[in-house]
Amino acid sequence: MEAFLTYRGRAALLDWSDVNTDLIIPARYLKRIERTGYGPLLFADKRYVPGGAPDPDHPESHGELASDFPLNASANQDATILIVGRNFGCGSSREHAVWAVAQAGYRAVIAPGKDDGFADIFEGNALNNGLLPIELPEADWETIATAVRTGPTEITIDLLRKRVTLHGNSDIEFAFDVPEGNRERILKGLDAIAETLLNDHAITRYEQSAPVWAGLSV
Amino acid sequence: MPSAPDTLFHKVWKRHVVTVTEDATLLYIDRHLVHEVTSPQAFEGLRLSGRKVRRPELTFATLDHNVPTENQLDIREPMSKRQVEALRTNAKEFGVTLYDMGSGRQGIVHVIGPELGLTLPGLTIVCGDSHTSTHGAFGSLAFGIGTSEVEHVLATQTLWQGKTPKALGIEVKGKLPAGLEPKDIILAVIRAIGTGGATGHVLEYYGPAISAMSMEGRMTVCNMSIEAGARAGLIAPDDTTIQYITATKRPFAPTGAALESALADWKLLQTDDPSAFDRIVTIDASSLVPQVTWGTNPAMTVDVTGRIPEPDQVPFTSREDARRSLEYMGLTPGTPISEIPIDIVFIGSCTNGRIEDLRSAAQVFRGRKVAAGVRALIVPGSEPVREQAIAEGLDRVFTEAGAEWRQAGCSMCLAMNPDKLTPGQRSASTSNRNFEGRQGPGGRTHLVSAAMAAAAAVTGKFTDVRTLLSQGV
Repeated sequence: MEAFLTYRGRAALLDWSDVNTDLIIPARYLKRIERTGYGPLLFADKRYVPGGAPDPDHPESHGELASDFPLNASANQDATILIVGRNFGCGSSREHAVWAVAQAGYRAVIAPGKDDGFADIFEGNALNNGLLPIELPEADWETIATAVRTGPTEITIDLLRKRVTLHGNSDIEFAFDVPEGNRERILKGLDAIAETLLNDHAITRYEQSAPVWAGLSV
Repeated sequence: MPSAPDTLFHKVWKRHVVTVTEDATLLYIDRHLVHEVTSPQAFEGLRLSGRKVRRPELTFATLDHNVPTENQLDIREPMSKRQVEALRTNAKEFGVTLYDMGSGRQGIVHVIGPELGLTLPGLTIVCGDSHTSTHGAFGSLAFGIGTSEVEHVLATQTLWQGKTPKALGIEVKGKLPAGLEPKDIILAVIRAIGTGGATGHVLEYYGPAISAMSMEGRMTVCNMSIEAGARAGLIAPDDTTIQYITATKRPFAPTGAALESALADWKLLQTDDPSAFDRIVTIDASSLVPQVTWGTNPAMTVDVTGRIPEPDQVPFTSREDARRSLEYMGLTPGTPISEIPIDIVFIGSCTNGRIEDLRSAAQVFRGRKVAAGVRALIVPGSEPVREQAIAEGLDRVFTEAGAEWRQAGCSMCLAMNPDKLTPGQRSASTSNRNFEGRQGPGGRTHLVSAAMAAAAAVTGKFTDVRTLLSQGV
């Protein structure tokens, strides 16, 4: 996982609510056994003209971009911060959805809400991959969305200070929250498993105290 | 002073705490179920870092998503074949039991866990699959995880959890009328609270309609908890639960002294008092009519006696999002549900692929024929379900009606195997998601119960199954 301290980039807006992970990456692309190659598959059934979605085994070869898909607008081509509607990433637990967003070049996703901006599993998967899921209060989110609708907009995300800065004539700063354990890991780009294994003695102690029936009766 | 009342969910959670930090909890995981789609990158991660599976004897794998249900052994698509082979190789290399095709035990991961006796009250169960919530029907805390977490559980048998979820009580009052099924209850719940209405929560279903329900029905209800955004959904164990676990031989269920100690323990697995819930939503089962989804998320549901809504009258959804849904579904506001013709019927999946679902569909198919121009697929959720259905003669009811009787797998629930919709085709499906493209690019999905799906098959459109059942044949 790539370490994340502060990051400045162009924002793009997909103003749809309840975007599910089947939409983010359709199931036929989950047959890959690799962890890479998902970038071109992001929103495959929306992003390309009809019939233009890539073959599952050739993600790099695809048709023209669809003119009516918001993220295809020329202003959004270099965007690396994705602004989305509420309940983003609902549905299937597929981590491929996070891999697709991250490998398409996005470093952070910003949704409106309080504990309901992102679906739970998507949020966990994003944190595990260093794709920062940021929830902002509705009004703050709307300020950013309005700026993006108006014209090219740059945003800085500062994970050390937990602040989002909307750049413009005058910068506007918004606070956000991330679970501390995840923040530490993302800041340092750490491996969660290695960290958990520091608790090996506690895990073993738990295993020794578990009720007999919870094991397997074979 | 008596201690404050606690919820079932919280009791199971607390039993599994290994350690806590400032804002996270390390939970011990009792059972890890694995399928071919979300595991290859996790095993590869172990390999790259030289790690082993900590408790291979608590880890169980099966093949379900890619399986061709016409002939399981004939996997023609090279990528599907590669994914299936990867799981076979990984299971062997890491010492994990795999229920392969033809083993007599293969099936959809959420159907076989309970069949094998792996799913028990009070356990923590995870799988790289959001419908893991199914296992909550037994009073276990069961939830879906991503592939990084699959790797984490393989390596450590534990999982970090952030903020402790809140407990949302779903009280289902009354008696479910004839012709209605647990599927109608869960669709009505999602319709009431919205597709993100339970985000950050664990649901507990209770009340007379739940107590009266079979384990199969309870699994249908818990299965779709995720469609309301819930982390998990569970039901307190009772005599019905214990009967399911003990009356049939289940290879991994406790017996003898272990069972005695388990039974004493499971008695404690109850919510002490509804006041312990953070919030309660009440549904009256006796007033329900069969439910049909019209849109592109499972909260977009109406009564079979209703009509397609106007875009500005869709709860939880902006006018623009509703308009896009209607356009995708090719539907006009005001159209009666009972006038919508269908092309394909799919009866199966981890939601409704169990024996009781097949019995209920057979009751409608018996003595009737699949309507002209309609194709109906009946897909058992597991090899044991298939055997049981054959023993009861249900397969003949289906084939005599002109439906296709298939082998076990996820089939048309998601377009990862040869069973899929073609663009523009409309299905009546017993699965769990009506998302755009879920059953195939451009496919249009309407979610219904098994009985309603069978009624759609024999009439070619959405039909209130109660009218067919009261007619007799």
